[in-house]
Amino acid sequence: MTRRSDIALRATCATRHNYSHFSAWRAWRMYHGHGVPGPKDEGFMTMLTRLERWKAQGTISPEQHAYLSGLSRGEPFSLFLELNVLLYAGVLAFVAGLGWTVTTWSQQLGDVLVLSVLSTILAANFWYCFSRGPAWSPIETPAPNPIFDYVLYLGSLVWSLELAYIENRFHVLSGQWDLYLLATAVFYFFLAYRFDNRFVLSLALSSLAGWFGLTISHWPAHQDAAYREYALLYCVLVGAGGAVLQRLGMKPHFFGTYLNVVANILFWALLSGVFNPQGYGVWCLALFIACCASLAWGLARRQFAFVVYAAVYGYVGVSSLFLRSFTDETAVLFYFVVSGVAMLVVLVQIGRRFGRKA
Amino acid sequence: MRLYSVSSEETLRARKLLTDWVGEGFLSKAQYQLLEQETVSELRTTNIFLRLVLFLFTLISVGAAAGLFYVVARPSEQTAGVFLLIFAAVCYAVAEAAVSQARLYRYGIEEALAVCSVVFLCVGMQVTFFSTRFYSPKPDAAECVVPAAGVVLSLWIWRRLGYSYAFLAAMIFVVFVPGYWTSSLAAQHLIAAVFYAIGLAGVIAVRSRHRFDYLDETYSLVEAFLWLGIYLTINLQLSSLNLHGLWWGSTRAASEFARPFYWTTWVLIWCLPPIVLVRGIRQKDRFVMAVGAIMAVLTLVSDKPYLGWKRHTWDPMLLGILLTGAAVFLRRWLARGPGGIRHGFTAARLSGKDKNWMSVGSTVAGLLSPQPPAPQPRSPDFRFGGGQTGGGGAGGDF
Repeated sequence: MTRRSDIALRATCATRHNYSHFSAWRAWRMYHGHGVPGPKDEGFMTMLTRLERWKAQGTISPEQHAYLSGLSRGEPFSLFLELNVLLYAGVLAFVAGLGWTVTTWSQQLGDVLVLSVLSTILAANFWYCFSRGPAWSPIETPAPNPIFDYVLYLGSLVWSLELAYIENRFHVLSGQWDLYLLATAVFYFFLAYRFDNRFVLSLALSSLAGWFGLTISHWPAHQDAAYREYALLYCVLVGAGGAVLQRLGMKPHFFGTYLNVVANILFWALLSGVFNPQGYGVWCLALFIACCASLAWGLARRQFAFVVYAAVYGYVGVSSLFLRSFTDETAVLFYFVVSGVAMLVVLVQIGRRFGRKA
Repeated sequence: MRLYSVSSEETLRARKLLTDWVGEGFLSKAQYQLLEQETVSELRTTNIFLRLVLFLFTLISVGAAAGLFYVVARPSEQTAGVFLLIFAAVCYAVAEAAVSQARLYRYGIEEALAVCSVVFLCVGMQVTFFSTRFYSPKPDAAECVVPAAGVVLSLWIWRRLGYSYAFLAAMIFVVFVPGYWTSSLAAQHLIAAVFYAIGLAGVIAVRSRHRFDYLDETYSLVEAFLWLGIYLTINLQLSSLNLHGLWWGSTRAASEFARPFYWTTWVLIWCLPPIVLVRGIRQKDRFVMAVGAIMAVLTLVSDKPYLGWKRHTWDPMLLGILLTGAAVFLRRWLARGPGGIRHGFTAARLSGKDKNWMSVGSTVAGLLSPQPPAPQPRSPDFRFGGGQTGGGGAGGDF
């Protein structure tokens, strides 16, 4: 057993002394087969019965049995995820309110007061992170305490807010937003790698995408060549950067985030090329290559999100090619029936060979 | 009634728990390999990604097949309705066959077929029996059989195949039923809430028998849906669907309902969240607790519009401070207990699933976070174009 499970076992033993009489009685009844009856079925065995049997067989130790039985009954019951969601929602609501207040009342409050408040929050957050943060390590480093990641996330969002305010009010860089975004992205990358924080890494990647002119709000309106080129350049730079950092052993667990972001932007960019009325041949070829690569990567690494990317983006690309040639509704519907069934057959085969486990 | 045998579903649950425990180091690899052989299920499962994509392509195929039939056969409106009913039966039969013969379990294909059967049934009934009243402003009371049929089939699918979203679909169909019986908005809200309350009483009565087996999670989710349904029907500010008005402090709902009814619902939206939270905590029920927390936040958000008070720009900040403060206090309070546990609750992570959720959630949350506005690309040759089928024969380019 690992140290982690050992700690958990001790925690359970400590809880056992704190159980109410009712819980102890209920647990005793479960252990001795007097528990609430489950559904009737031949061969039916609840997890608790199985654990009892495995203990009797000697496959698991009595300590493991006690601990795992507790987990099966929800004792102790972990609120880890709920508390994290609460923290995230709290930070987001706070920043939204802060932004709204600053936008609405900046004239009445005055620049000095607004900037003082924002700078104080920012300084407090970063002081907390730099004073409490663990020593830097290239491998995955757990946060020193559960709220640490959210303090850093809050600081990062307030940084964006303050920069936006300064530029809007003082036009320091004469509207050169791209420089702000680039500086912000660099700063976020530094924070993400310094404190091992995925929230901030995602912020860095989206800020960098912003610098490349890739905000989603602008994307569907103009599928022009400029966006596509920027998107491809972004994919090459970020993908290569992520791969190099992984090879160097610098936070290699971040590589999945890089790949997912790059894959989605790449496929959108290629699809926008396929949708072009002219000169789409090369984009079709590129989409085909990307789909093959994504499929191969997904199957080899058992990362089925990439199989889904290949299937969905590839299908959209092929369908757009077909639909530009046929306008007859019978042919179009026939295509969807045949292609849908074909995709099902292929995916079922993939599922049978590779996809049993998530 | 259930299509899957109890032992196979319980075996699948055991396999999932084993995988989680070995990932967390509670079991050794050698132990896992031994125990894995005892948890072999004959059901055919797949991972969440393939499940989603199989669901999507089944929907595309079935939808296109139905469309193709109508394009080729060009039946009359009523005949089309009858054929839709036949399609519903066929889809359901194939879904059952996929489960009983191919042993598919949460595989996407049989789920999409079941969903299609509900859609075809409702549309088919509407077209067959009420096609002449399609655009009537005043609905006929008899038309309520359409959503009622949706309720019945969705509930049947939930019981037979165990899809929790089928139960949610049944709840959504219920919302449409009272509209055919009465034009009073208050009565409609009340009838829907009564339906949900009856369902809730039934679920609470049944689920106590399944406290420690695989059905507990299903019933937990369904109970949470029902609590949320009751809350949403009695919160008149939210159920008015006027979210913009809600945010900006509109009091639309106040004038539409009788004052006693309006203020009773206001009292109820304050009473329900603590009741649900306490029940969730006592039962150690994750979904019910989560719904209790969501209801509490929604009550805070909708209170000012209820009272007709003006909303302030700093309200979200106060909400954020409240949520963060509650989370920090709870975490510290739990951590100070013996072994980091109080009353059977801990703030520590005990499951690998939580780590995966956090990893995916933090990436997505970071990507969706607010950012400063981005620059426009400087494209000298920018032009509008690309449309293939312009209206009235217009070309795509300008």
